[in-house]
Amino acid sequence: MGKYRKPIQIVIMLGVLLLGGYAIGKALFASSETDRPEVGGAAPNFTLLDLKGQQHQLSEYKGKAVVLNFWGSFCPPCVKEMPEFERQYVKWKDKPFEILAVNLSEGDLTVNNFVKDFQLSYPILRDANRVIERRYGLEQYPSTFFIKPDGTIMDIFVGGMTEQDIDRRIERLLQT
Amino acid sequence: MFQNTKCECGHQNPPDTLLCESCGKPQTEIAADAPLEMRYDGMARRSQKRNPNPIDLVWNFFSSVKIAIILIIITLVGAAIGTIYPQGNRADYYKQTYGWSGELYHRLGLSSMYDSWWFVGLLVMIGTSLVVCSLDRVLPLYRALSKQQIRKHLMFITRQKTVYTGPVEDNAEQWVQELASHLKRRRYRVHTDGTALLAEKNRFSRWGPYINHIGLIILLLALLARTIPDWKVEETIAVRDGETVQVPQTDYYVKNEKFTVEYYDQNDLPDRLKQQERPKLYKTEAVLYKCVATCGEPGIDPVLEPVKNYDITVNHPLVYKGVKLYQIGYDDTPLLKAVKPVIEDKRNGQVYGPFDLTMKDPQTEYTVGPYSLSLKAQYMEFALNDEGNPVTLSRDPKAPAFIFVVKGPGIDDAGEPYMYFPLQKDKQRFSQDLINRDLVSKMEIRVDGMENVSFTSYSSYLLIRVDRALTYVWVGLGICMLGLLMGAYWHHRRIWLRVDNGVLSLGAHTNKNYFGMRSDVAWALQQMNIEVEKDKLDNGGYNS
Repeated sequence: MGKYRKPIQIVIMLGVLLLGGYAIGKALFASSETDRPEVGGAAPNFTLLDLKGQQHQLSEYKGKAVVLNFWGSFCPPCVKEMPEFERQYVKWKDKPFEILAVNLSEGDLTVNNFVKDFQLSYPILRDANRVIERRYGLEQYPSTFFIKPDGTIMDIFVGGMTEQDIDRRIERLLQT
Repeated sequence: MFQNTKCECGHQNPPDTLLCESCGKPQTEIAADAPLEMRYDGMARRSQKRNPNPIDLVWNFFSSVKIAIILIIITLVGAAIGTIYPQGNRADYYKQTYGWSGELYHRLGLSSMYDSWWFVGLLVMIGTSLVVCSLDRVLPLYRALSKQQIRKHLMFITRQKTVYTGPVEDNAEQWVQELASHLKRRRYRVHTDGTALLAEKNRFSRWGPYINHIGLIILLLALLARTIPDWKVEETIAVRDGETVQVPQTDYYVKNEKFTVEYYDQNDLPDRLKQQERPKLYKTEAVLYKCVATCGEPGIDPVLEPVKNYDITVNHPLVYKGVKLYQIGYDDTPLLKAVKPVIEDKRNGQVYGPFDLTMKDPQTEYTVGPYSLSLKAQYMEFALNDEGNPVTLSRDPKAPAFIFVVKGPGIDDAGEPYMYFPLQKDKQRFSQDLINRDLVSKMEIRVDGMENVSFTSYSSYLLIRVDRALTYVWVGLGICMLGLLMGAYWHHRRIWLRVDNGVLSLGAHTNKNYFGMRSDVAWALQQMNIEVEKDKLDNGGYNS
């Protein structure tokens, strides 16, 4: 190698640091083995339509706290907690937060009837073909994700929530 | 203070050289009988130099074969630990299936260790070691082998592991030329310099180990590349008969045109399995589509173009551009897809229709003869909750129910409600006629005959697999094998000789198989009418 020895050594060491650093870093900061979003991790982005046909992207809500609730008409606890969410929505209306209720891929008629019965004022989004359901790794319903203004998940609640459960978490969310 | 490293032949050697780069004379004092240290032909390995700076220290660490072996052993042990319990499951799985040891295993992070920072770190270190070890050794080797002197020092020749000395009567140069021609017949490359000769064979095999290492480096990089998003995908999807489902993380969609199952004949089954339905063959006639426009936009159907047709069976996946779809199972719960009911006017027996009623996304308005139907509510799996209100238990049409507002002859102008259950079992269970008692005498919605009912019988489970790094893994392994073959099946042999005043001194060296080396030398000498027993050529030392 002669006089090229030092440069070659440096080049190789740099290469190792870059590639190795990338690989180890990726392993260090990778998501869990089941690839579901977890508390502290980023909430996967999505684009869904609401009942009026308007698009909503999760990333649009950065800077606001978001309560992401997954529900279906076939799930009794989902149905039971909807009025609670509505009351909470009205209560915290002045603060920078939003409730997004994503329906689990049910038909137009079912969803529309449902919303009519309940008089809900927060946006109802429609998942189709269970795509977003998979993306969030849902296994039980209802599942509610409490997302901080920076887009990371503060809490995941599986099961029906009482107004107290929701209230406490929204309060925490608004403090971040 | 300053060591004189100039050889008596006049060549200036770098410090720590063992044998002169030019004439081969030993530069250091060695024991009288010991054969020469021929590694790198005695040239200095630069990583052994004095006063290493920090970069040199790191370099020397990775250049050490001992360190490499230790790293490999640690990685091996680590990898073995990862096989104790299955990887990649959630915490509760380990606690439930294996108890406290499983829980401990998971807590220690061993349940997902092949992606862990320390395991990847070990692989990175092995990769670095590969690069540094090879570079540190291949360059001196190349230099040593490409600049070879024909006439070597007598001490060099007589201290090889295979040696012959003896008298030669004829003209020395002629003798050497004649021997050269014999050696050429044995496929040696021969160079002569008057009364000195260098014969060399199979130098390429020395590069074998380095090519092997290049292959391994490619393999490691390929394995690393799998962490790039979209390079490795493994997902399961369920596709109902006739349904088209997106292949996750790709722009492809797969349609299940038809799913068929064949069962073993009862006579073909062993006694203990009789009475069971054992599937013999099941396949999905699949069509793969590529989305060409409006992909992934919510509320808008993607525009699809078919790209491949294939019948997927177990172990015979549909393969298209690196995406593989495997058949891994099925579900045979039949689900109602659509019905074609008719409406009978009970007062005069007239029948109108049929009309199309699908379970998924049904129309909301229907005109059937004089009747108009307005669909107000739909339940996939109808039930009554504790308060007696209609609810649905799931999203699958296992017990579908439709609530229409009907207008027509004999019916109130504002319309009257009618509840319709397409399946007979639900009709009876929920007493459809009782619910509709006001209208039952005036009209009936019913399905005439099974031909007006369509089911989807099967749901096919497909496993999606994409592994873009696989080709590179094979390439790496192929190169690795090439290197191994080169190094293992051919051996680098060299013969030096010189005739000084009627005395022939011959020395030979090889990296493997001295037995063969001696065989070659004995044969060559025999062609020159010098009979010598092969064993006598052995000059001691550790022979491989």
